[in-house]
Amino acid sequence: MTRRGSIAVTHPRLDADKLGPFRFGRIDDKVLLTHDTGQWHLLSEPDFEALLAGTLGPDHPDHAALVDKGFIRDGMDADAIADRLRRKKRWLGMGPHLHVVITTLRCNQSCKYCHASRTDMDRVDTDMSIDTARLVVDHALRSPSPFIAFEFQGGEPTVNMDVIRFIVEYSRERNRNEGKTIEYSLVTNMTRMDEDKAEWLLANDVFLCTSLDGPRHVHDWNRPFAGGQGSAPFDEVMKWVQYFNRRYVEMGRDPELWHVDALMTTTRKTLEHWREVIDLYVSLGIRNLYLRPLNPFGFIMKTWKAVGYDQEDFLRFYEQALDYIIDLNRDGVQIIEGTAALFLKKMLTPDDPNFVDLRSPIGAGTGQIAYNYDGTIFPSDEGRMVDAMGDPIFALGRLGELTPDEAIGHPTVKALAVASLLDTLPMCSTCWNAPYCGVRPLHNYMMSGDLFGQRPNTPKCKQHMTIARLLFERLSRDTDGSLEAIFRRWTLERPRETPPPDLDADGDAGASPAASSPASGDAAPDSAAATE
Amino acid sequence: MSDDALQDEIAFVEDGRRVALTLDEELYPRDAILGAAYLFVDRAWVFLSRPGDRQVEVRLKPKGDTDSAALEALAGEFANELLNQVLRVRIGESTGRIREYYMARAFFSTTTQSSIDQLLAELDEEELADDDLEISVPWDTPEPAADTPDEGPAVGDEEPPRA
Repeated sequence: MTRRGSIAVTHPRLDADKLGPFRFGRIDDKVLLTHDTGQWHLLSEPDFEALLAGTLGPDHPDHAALVDKGFIRDGMDADAIADRLRRKKRWLGMGPHLHVVITTLRCNQSCKYCHASRTDMDRVDTDMSIDTARLVVDHALRSPSPFIAFEFQGGEPTVNMDVIRFIVEYSRERNRNEGKTIEYSLVTNMTRMDEDKAEWLLANDVFLCTSLDGPRHVHDWNRPFAGGQGSAPFDEVMKWVQYFNRRYVEMGRDPELWHVDALMTTTRKTLEHWREVIDLYVSLGIRNLYLRPLNPFGFIMKTWKAVGYDQEDFLRFYEQALDYIIDLNRDGVQIIEGTAALFLKKMLTPDDPNFVDLRSPIGAGTGQIAYNYDGTIFPSDEGRMVDAMGDPIFALGRLGELTPDEAIGHPTVKALAVASLLDTLPMCSTCWNAPYCGVRPLHNYMMSGDLFGQRPNTPKCKQHMTIARLLFERLSRDTDGSLEAIFRRWTLERPRETPPPDLDADGDAGASPAASSPASGDAAPDSAAATE
Repeated sequence: MSDDALQDEIAFVEDGRRVALTLDEELYPRDAILGAAYLFVDRAWVFLSRPGDRQVEVRLKPKGDTDSAALEALAGEFANELLNQVLRVRIGESTGRIREYYMARAFFSTTTQSSIDQLLAELDEEELADDDLEISVPWDTPEPAADTPDEGPAVGDEEPPRA
């Protein structure tokens, strides 16, 4: 049966010539205005209507701020806005700073969600050779970026420790002429660690990140040893985290800046035990916890039914965990949620953390490069993961054959940039979250076979929208400023005494070359393809 | 120049499975309609068609179970989002040159404008340039009615086969 009806609508009075460029959305009962520079302002609905009508005058308490932020045209300083924008996007044109090196695909663990497509320990043919490692260094040091971060991943990268040692030593030697700032980080499951390796890593300022999925019954369920042999993986992680952290103190390093970082991958098991996960991180003194969802790469595509979850379940978990972490902060515990901190840095500071997977355009090929064990170059570790699943579409070429200029200018890199430029994408271009967000073309490709995807149907869009909304909602209700003070602490950074390692990435993010350790947390590795 | 507040009635038709709204492009620019439609592709199959000159029909078919009340609510949500999209389009049209100015100033060493005052003066004087190549003519100018498919093009995924 057909029924007809009508909807009464009122178009607001609009004097667009009195406005600056902005995006807007609703947060609670307020209207959120956001600017390309990342600045934002919350208005009541009546005040928003007055702004649109051009009647919000200089006598209004918010008028001066709205002019300064560029939301009102009369009095706007467009040159100052340009300066802010240039600072926000200062990484544009710098070239790849993050160089992910897959030293081997061999791994002694068989994680239920392995994104890295590990191979068994007898597959020595998946080890990187010294000759290939030399080409990696030569290629990376030709990047125009003055900051270079080598991040060792796998497999379990310490299985091929010789290549790690070679790259550190050879790159330092080469850098005598280059004069770049070079950092090193190792993403390890810690189960192949020994004192010889540990002391060398400490002596060479190689920053360490390990996977820690939670208490023993969660971690060992998620990340069993291949073949089920050996001691419990959880015990190995505990042992070596404590070893390194003790040694940093003995070496006179500030433990707030120098300690093993860790990150977790959320499985269905995590959702049941989320509070225990956070409590464990707090007990270990880890100050930066990434509540990281499963990604659509590698073995997880076959095991999703066993360990996966609905998007809504993850987002409910995230909100609960975020609020618990905020409560801990109110009680004086210094721990931050890593993804929230990335958004907050974009929202509350003039800078952008330059995480390669949360920026516009994405850093694939222009902010990071991944080198597979066999010398194949990819724009990101995710591209390498897609290749490991049998689809070579993101391979750019081979070391020794493809120059750095050719890699950056490769059509695949250009396609990834176009597919992630928020200013040109339907929905993103007008979305209030655009100044803080970043889309993931390789996720889209895996989910829909299309680099662009349809944003409302992509998990990353729902995650990023939810995280930003949760943060703005809490800021909106923060009448005494106490929460903003906590959030601002999450965005603070101070440098390590020696060159800090750069951070990234499981393919989930790579940190700014200029980034250093937040005062209230780590410099935020979001990492560990190697240990997945 | 300020536009006064405008009252409008958006007509809809629902049949228990889908709801259709007919929109006047004079009030609802096509970019606004497309922008609103895109935001609903996670919840509904969206079909667009042209029932008449300067008119666009948006037909929403929810992906899950639905009923008359839910369809009316969906139409209401669409109308609200459409108003937002109209604002975005109109603000974007009015502020586009300012945005181009500070983008160019931020990312290129030289710009064509030396000051915001000059830019604003240009905005005041700007007239539509000749368009001999008809670049501004929309690519999807409506075809004769006889060629219009019954359901129109879908915004969103392919509709799954019915059980």
